[in-house]
Amino acid sequence: MTQWLGIISANRFPTPADTWASLKTIALRGYGNGKLHQHILQSIGLVTIAFLVSAAAGVLLGIFMGANRKIEAIVNPIFLTLRPIPPLAWIPLAIVWLGLGNSAKVMVIFVAAFVPSVINTFTGIRSLDNAQREAALMLGVSRFSYYTEVLIPTAMPLIFSGLRLSLQASWTTLVAAELVGAVLGLGSILNQAAQDINPAMILVGMMSVAVCGWLMTQLLAYLEKFAMPWRHT
Amino acid sequence: MANIVFDGVEKSFSQGGKDFLAVGETNFTVADKEFVAIVGPSGCGKTTCLRMVAGFEAPSKGVIRVGGGIVTAPGPDRAVVFQQFALFPWKTVLDNVTFGLKAMGLSEQERNKRAADLITMVGLEGYEAAYPHQLSGGMQQRVAIARAYVLDPGVLLMDEPFGALDAQTRVVMQEELVKLARKNPRTVLFITHAVEEAVYLADRVVVMSRRPGLFKEVIDVKKLRIEENWDQHSRIEDVMDLSSFVHLRSQIWKLLREQH
Amino acid sequence: MMHRDSLNSQQVMMYSVLGIALFLSVWYGAVALEVTPKQFLPSPHEVLIKLSSLLTQPFSGFTLLAHIASSFQRFLYGFLLAICIGIPLGLLMALSKNTDRLITPFFESIRFVAPIAWVPFAALWFGTGIGGPVLVIFMGAFPPVLINTYRGAIHVDKKFIEAAQMLGAGRLRLMVEVLFPAAIPSIVAGLRISAGLGWQSLIGAELIVASSGVGYMMVKGQASIQTDIVMSGMIAIGIIGLAIDIGLRMIEKLVSKYREN
Repeated sequence: MTQWLGIISANRFPTPADTWASLKTIALRGYGNGKLHQHILQSIGLVTIAFLVSAAAGVLLGIFMGANRKIEAIVNPIFLTLRPIPPLAWIPLAIVWLGLGNSAKVMVIFVAAFVPSVINTFTGIRSLDNAQREAALMLGVSRFSYYTEVLIPTAMPLIFSGLRLSLQASWTTLVAAELVGAVLGLGSILNQAAQDINPAMILVGMMSVAVCGWLMTQLLAYLEKFAMPWRHT
Repeated sequence: MANIVFDGVEKSFSQGGKDFLAVGETNFTVADKEFVAIVGPSGCGKTTCLRMVAGFEAPSKGVIRVGGGIVTAPGPDRAVVFQQFALFPWKTVLDNVTFGLKAMGLSEQERNKRAADLITMVGLEGYEAAYPHQLSGGMQQRVAIARAYVLDPGVLLMDEPFGALDAQTRVVMQEELVKLARKNPRTVLFITHAVEEAVYLADRVVVMSRRPGLFKEVIDVKKLRIEENWDQHSRIEDVMDLSSFVHLRSQIWKLLREQH
Repeated sequence: MMHRDSLNSQQVMMYSVLGIALFLSVWYGAVALEVTPKQFLPSPHEVLIKLSSLLTQPFSGFTLLAHIASSFQRFLYGFLLAICIGIPLGLLMALSKNTDRLITPFFESIRFVAPIAWVPFAALWFGTGIGGPVLVIFMGAFPPVLINTYRGAIHVDKKFIEAAQMLGAGRLRLMVEVLFPAAIPSIVAGLRISAGLGWQSLIGAELIVASSGVGYMMVKGQASIQTDIVMSGMIAIGIIGLAIDIGLRMIEKLVSKYREN
């Protein structure tokens, strides 16, 4: 339709036919240093590792900040100072410190994915009903039991909300980081295609990003059902 | 010996920069295995008294002693039954009841056995694997009572435990609590604003004045109950029909009115 | 004790100061121990010095203030474009089921693509002109505006709409005088999210396709390994982003006060 409107010159906008052709190319013959599945594996691999590390760290910090007001008071100012800086703004610093390889990307994804996990876990822990808290005290349960059998189950729904947001942030940040400089990965497809002035390939890249992201989110939703059996009886 | 002693106890709170006295100087003793109910107008501080015995609040002046030792923190020796049940929604009925036993060093087998016995005692046999949200209010409160009893506490603290239940369930629960209390007596402090409930359940009833709350009157119900043999009637409506009951109830109502 | 762990405001202040002190001492410590060469990790005060000098001395063609102005200008264009298209479209979709059916599938398929993924197309279509970043910002800022406008307008009681129609109001008047006022709280809430996303997407875009702006400045700083410049850029971005958010929050408060009267 945009072609017909002539707003953008025809050879810079992908047609469905071109897009299908590009998809076949990248899947079978490869494009920009690898075939489609290799790019996907690279991206998914990076996101998974970075997400798991950031989410674990974020949830842990959220638990301690939620359970202990002293820790909250100490960590909060650092958090508030660093929060306004968008994760993507860390890319140049990450490149200075870690070069153009995978570790820089993991660092930036960490910054992006860490925050939602902390905040949501924290809120979840704080949402513990007052009467339930007093009941736990009255029952005289050990500190360990209090954390594992009271605080964390209470926070579960919000922890998973945080994980979902962290996963989304991980994907977005990964694509951006790969766009800036990567040899393999979905973002690098986009980068290469832009340089080659291949709009159809760009579209293939974008669709791959959307599909992979969607798949990972579904996986997380499935895990969520598994982790909270009492909600689905 | 699990008696409760209020020794020169006072409680003030700070609100909006101002201090106010919630509970005025109180000296009172609940004897071992005695069932004492506290009635009073809303906001008079009766719940605060219970919370101090439980260890959730500390007195501003004086101390509370349970079985000779000063209360400093909550613990399973003073089990609490809350108005809002306060069960853990992610735990089954059985897990809710056994949770407090874990810290007592019992084997899993022993814990499950004791819990199962109590679950049967409160009439919930067969519901061990259910989750709280699948149960009615009355059933949930029974689980809470089982959870408290299973700890074999010296003291049982009940904070308007039937307040959140509908009228019919309430009556059933009162009957069951009486049965349980007579069969398995222990020191009980019971907070309510329903005079009938207090007279039906308690050995002594304390009437508290409005803020700052003071123990204004103490009525001996047990004496009358034994004299008039209320316990021969197993149904609550029969007991509440007795003229001795009605008389005592009006007496206490009048005292309560004076506090408004 | 677990249940007595509330802190009063003095204690909170104390621990907060402790937190900042810890953060700074770790930073200074890392610098002193020469964990990495000086170029890679400047000390905090060096960053601040650089930041203030950049306000007047140009780097990569412009002073920091000029870079900020350039970035902010792009942000503003993209943000305003999102508002000018998003609000009317959202109201129209709430009013007309046909428009809703037409636009929604299109919107849903585009919505989940991260704004940053539009950078290649932006580069392709606009080169390093202003259109590129504006497109990316638009893609980030547009969805929340549209969604919040739609949600705010769709919950208007049918009776109000019917009454207005009976009084002869055409579509335009319906949108402006009935739907829009009702949707304002939702719209304003959406603006904050929208601005946040837009500002973030801008930075991403500037890292790749710009010849001025704070993101561009940071890339240049990174290329010449002037970490103090990179960090200055990060601080500037954070401050501006915070200022935008605070500004919108004040607007939100003003709007709700106005509506109460």
